[in-house]
Amino acid sequence: MSAARQAIKVGTKNVRPVLSVNHGEAKRRVLNLYKAWYRQIPYLVKDYDMPKSEEQCREKLKEMFLNNKHVSDIRVIDMLVIKGQMELKEAVNLWKQKGHMMAYFKPTEEPKPKDFLSKFFSSNE
Amino acid sequence: MAGALARVIRGTKTNLGIVGPLANINNVPVRFQQTQAPPTKSKYGPLADQDRIFTNLYGRHDWRLKGAMARGDWYLTKEILLKGTDWIVNEMKTSGLRGRGGAGFPTGMKWSFMNKPSDGRPKYLVVNADEGEPGTCKDREIMRHDPHKLVEGCLIAGKAMGAQAAYIYIRGEFYNEASNLQVAIAEAYQAGLIGKNACGSGYDFDVFVHRGAGAYICGEETALIESIEGKQGKPRLKPPFPADVGLFGCPTTVNNVETIAVAPTICRRGGKWFASFGRARNSGTKLFNISGHVNTPCTVEEEMSIPLKELIERHAGGVCGGWDNLLAIIPGGSSTPLIPKDVCSTVLMDFDGLVAAQTSLGTAAIIVMDKSTDIVKAIARLIMFYKHESCGQCTPCREGVSWMNKIMYRFVEGNASPKEIDMLWEISKQIEGHTICALGDGAAWPVQGLIRHFRPELERRMQVWACTHGPSMAEKLY
Amino acid sequence: MLRQPLSRALALSSPARVAPLAARRYADAVPAQPEKVEVFIDDQPVHVLPGTTVLQAAAQVGVEIPRFCYHERLAVAGNCRMCLVEVEKSPKPVAACAMPVMKGMRVKTNSDLTRKAREGVMEFLLVNHPLDCPICDQGGECDLQDQSMAFGSDRSRFTDIHFSGKRAVEDKDVGPLIKTIMTRCIHCTRCIRFASEVAGVDDFGTTGRGTEMQVGTYVEKMFLSELSGNIIDLCPVGALTSKPYSFAARPWETRRIDSVDVLDPLGSNIVVATRTNEVLRILPRTNEEINEEWLSDKSRFACDGLKRQRLVTPMLKDSRGNLAPVEWEDAVVAAARALRDCPPDKLLAVAGGLADAEALVALKDLLNRLGSEHVCTEHYFPTQGAGTDLRSSYLLNTKIANVEDADFVLLIGTNTRFEAPLLNARIRKAFIHKETDVALVGPKVDLTYEYTHVGDSASIVKDFASGTSSHEVMKRLQQAKRPVVILGADQLKSEEGPALLAYTQELAHKLQENLQDKEWKVLNVLQRTASQVAALDIGYQPGVGQALAAGPKVVYLLGADSGVVTRESLPEDVTIIYQGHHGDVGASIADIVLPGAAYTEKRATYVNAEGRAQQTLVAVSPPGKAREDWKIIRALSEVLGAGLPYDTLDEVRDRLSQVSPALVAYGDVQPNNYFAQARALAQSLQKPVSGKLDVQLKQLEDFFMTDAISRASPTMAKCVQAVLKQKNSPY
Repeated sequence: MSAARQAIKVGTKNVRPVLSVNHGEAKRRVLNLYKAWYRQIPYLVKDYDMPKSEEQCREKLKEMFLNNKHVSDIRVIDMLVIKGQMELKEAVNLWKQKGHMMAYFKPTEEPKPKDFLSKFFSSNE
Repeated sequence: MAGALARVIRGTKTNLGIVGPLANINNVPVRFQQTQAPPTKSKYGPLADQDRIFTNLYGRHDWRLKGAMARGDWYLTKEILLKGTDWIVNEMKTSGLRGRGGAGFPTGMKWSFMNKPSDGRPKYLVVNADEGEPGTCKDREIMRHDPHKLVEGCLIAGKAMGAQAAYIYIRGEFYNEASNLQVAIAEAYQAGLIGKNACGSGYDFDVFVHRGAGAYICGEETALIESIEGKQGKPRLKPPFPADVGLFGCPTTVNNVETIAVAPTICRRGGKWFASFGRARNSGTKLFNISGHVNTPCTVEEEMSIPLKELIERHAGGVCGGWDNLLAIIPGGSSTPLIPKDVCSTVLMDFDGLVAAQTSLGTAAIIVMDKSTDIVKAIARLIMFYKHESCGQCTPCREGVSWMNKIMYRFVEGNASPKEIDMLWEISKQIEGHTICALGDGAAWPVQGLIRHFRPELERRMQVWACTHGPSMAEKLY
Repeated sequence: MLRQPLSRALALSSPARVAPLAARRYADAVPAQPEKVEVFIDDQPVHVLPGTTVLQAAAQVGVEIPRFCYHERLAVAGNCRMCLVEVEKSPKPVAACAMPVMKGMRVKTNSDLTRKAREGVMEFLLVNHPLDCPICDQGGECDLQDQSMAFGSDRSRFTDIHFSGKRAVEDKDVGPLIKTIMTRCIHCTRCIRFASEVAGVDDFGTTGRGTEMQVGTYVEKMFLSELSGNIIDLCPVGALTSKPYSFAARPWETRRIDSVDVLDPLGSNIVVATRTNEVLRILPRTNEEINEEWLSDKSRFACDGLKRQRLVTPMLKDSRGNLAPVEWEDAVVAAARALRDCPPDKLLAVAGGLADAEALVALKDLLNRLGSEHVCTEHYFPTQGAGTDLRSSYLLNTKIANVEDADFVLLIGTNTRFEAPLLNARIRKAFIHKETDVALVGPKVDLTYEYTHVGDSASIVKDFASGTSSHEVMKRLQQAKRPVVILGADQLKSEEGPALLAYTQELAHKLQENLQDKEWKVLNVLQRTASQVAALDIGYQPGVGQALAAGPKVVYLLGADSGVVTRESLPEDVTIIYQGHHGDVGASIADIVLPGAAYTEKRATYVNAEGRAQQTLVAVSPPGKAREDWKIIRALSEVLGAGLPYDTLDEVRDRLSQVSPALVAYGDVQPNNYFAQARALAQSLQKPVSGKLDVQLKQLEDFFMTDAISRASPTMAKCVQAVLKQKNSPY
């Protein structure tokens, strides 16, 4: 093990935390955020006149949290939580518009066609 | 067209009834008068009668061939021609004759430019008879009363530069002059003086008359050439000069009528005789036109370098109301700057004398203005003339002269700011020397003369205006 | 008509004025170079040939002298006085544009006197120039604006504007292309000089004098020229602006894309100005070898045709026989089915005049894969003898720029003025400045210069070729050191076409044999369309006559709009597939329409009449569902199961270079020299000819609408109307 790698290890070990000092705390923050969103869903559906039911929104909320379930770095979790809080604030304060909310429900993008014929039929190039 | 006319007249000579017996001039021995000029001369003028070149200036005698020959025209022309190009040019150089059209370029030198080795192109002599300068009326007197002097001059000048033909571009308004000239040419053709084997010298020379259509600018040599070629009379760029590329693309010399008309007499009486008149480099005799506020306006041939005051008092009967009633004089046609009375009293009428007085001899058309003249309006009217006659080709003249005209007419009223006098001066300087031809200069100079000598008068008018109308709008704007 | 006066001719033919072209040095043409003289521009020494003007000498050391009236390609007028510079020992400032240099001349382009003179002239120009820059179309590309910023005063002292105002001049109507706002005119006379020198239409001039001087036609009439648009570019101010483009855009808003024109066979270089995916205008781009800096009116103004009559979606004929819009998949499948079900010998592809080389090669490859050899062009060319095998037989071999150096030009059955306006401008240039003489065999037309009209019978060419003609033109041809023979390709469609070509080759060969200059090429064939040379290079069969007679079952039209393929000439059950960009003749008879891209919408190769390959660039994207042409054919081939082996443009161009390297040698002309062989092969074709030669474009009104784009252009339609109206006017 080289000295450099050693240094990185030390560095990462003693890194300054963003918010949480351990996993437990981070987890609590995530759950708090989740709950906060969960409670706001009825109001959001109403305020933004979203063409979705509360049920669908809860589904989506769950899906979006689970999208990040593989994240284990505390700092990354904290950052995601901070971003989530920001989004929540924007949503609750009606700083967003309907389009922004509906963007959460955007279907996943299909991969761009690779072969000539598909490209020809699908795009304008 | 003029050429065709001349030919037609030649062909139908019997119809015109101008077949006169030809004087046998060939047997008379040649005798040239050799008058020695005194080395230093302090008094110039008056000209003695025997030294006058234009002996029929007032039309008291017969202007046709017979009368002209009686006055000595066409005398020994053949011998002069046979003496050859170099002799004629040399005689002209000795005479010190300077172009009589205004610019005063030495004629002998101008003619010698034409004697470069030929490249196969024909050469032409063009005579500028488009006498349009306000105040000037010398060429018309020559053409209506002494046309044979001009025709003979064309032949001699043509010989001197090896020209094939002469084109006389005559001002369209000169109807009588053109017809007299045309008759004179026809007579000369009939008498064999010009045309094939002119005067029996073996030299072929044609003379054509071309009538203009009334544009002042066609008096500029290159515009004149353009006009003869049938185009709009707009000056060409120089270089190339007409001596290289002129009429129909061929070497051409353009001379004033008076310059050409005095040439035969110079050749007959000798260049030294001619040089004996006037100061050095300003030699010869000259036709002076005196008009305006004089008792007897006239055209008179006088010695060069004659004092202006003497000229006016002797020949024009003095200024109306006496010399003290004089306000200013324009000494050389409308394009030269005016000179006030005190300068007039001493100035000598020649090229150098007038240049020293910040003006120019021009065509020696003296316009006398007495104290009853509205001098500002007079100059404004001149500028309006130049504005009207500007060809519009190049920017400073087209735009500048009309602008000057606007300002000048405000000055006449006084509806202007004194600061604009300097602006006008600058504008005139912006025109002068920046144009293709000299019309721009000619328009700028009268204004400059006015400002130079009559600035207090301009300021006085503005004050008067301001008293009655309040300050001029220009005062606020500029 | 007057040739230039000697002075102007001398000035124009001075060595410094001749465009610097490597291609135009010939063995015996190297003139004895006069010794150069040294002059000093702002104390920088520069050696120039005598006869160079001060302005040109200054340009050589990078000192640009402001000018309005001076233009490199026009005679010197010297009337704007903007180029005044101080010359040491000269009392007055001199006009740099007209003053030839003299040995040891010291020019000061930045002295007080010079700057004062410029400022004065600028002040005078602005005295009567309206302050309407905000509503002037020239704004942003105005010489007066630029130069008043650089050389003018910072404030006005023109107080008289409050007393008497400025001059106002009535606008003139000179046709539907040029808008005049004559109050803005600064009387530089560039337009007058262009009209009389280059365009050969002596209608412009000045009337009045002094401040009342006006530029115009005196009696109001249309500027009847095929090059009229160039005076818009020449005008240094906004007095002459483009009528179709008026109030459309500012120059700084537009994107400019270099491209190539395809509306005539010369391939003039152009700049396409676009904004928001719309072609706003087309300007010429300088190319000394082709169009100098001019552009014909059709090339310049037909661009509004690119927005009209466009095919924006694939279409299929429905049950009622009307074309109905469909998706690409449906159209391609339908086309593929038609092609697959057709026996190969009943398959025919016809390429039109605007097709690019990439599409041409793709289409030919596709048909070859399907087992068919019937790929044709609309325009005929004789296939007997050497046919199209030898490139020199169908090219403009002399090259456009070299026509200037010719001393005798023989035109056979062509009206160059309308078939190739800029070639005609070159011939006129030679005629005026170089004493070149021109003779024409064919119908009498106005070529803008004088020519000897030999007659319109084809047998004249035969007599010339056999040397039996006693016409003076024959003698002139034989004496000429650099003769040029230009044969119009239109003449070759007739029965006697092969013989006419054979005779022309014979004539050219005989002339060439006697020349001292062995590099000089005599034979020229002027094609009519932008695609023809590339198509022949790729191996298309010229002409559709035989193929149509064979009764094809499927006809694939690649932009074939000239009307040689009609429903009537085809069997009842034929399927016509049309691929192209305009709903014109071809699309109207089609069963399946595949929308392609016009020349401003694709990067494509065009080979001009000289055989010079050039490429257009994408200026805007194709409208609607239209696609680049070669891609349509490539997609079709895949659906057909005969996939073409190229997916990208580079791969297509590799294929092009396999066919002929000349097709991708952009900007170059490969020399072609098989004249003798072509003539030998054609000798048996020299049969008696008796017909008369006729040209399609005789009058100006014929010129404007010749192809799908210009036929769709409202501006071109207005031009035709205006020309006809003018022709009926008594003036």
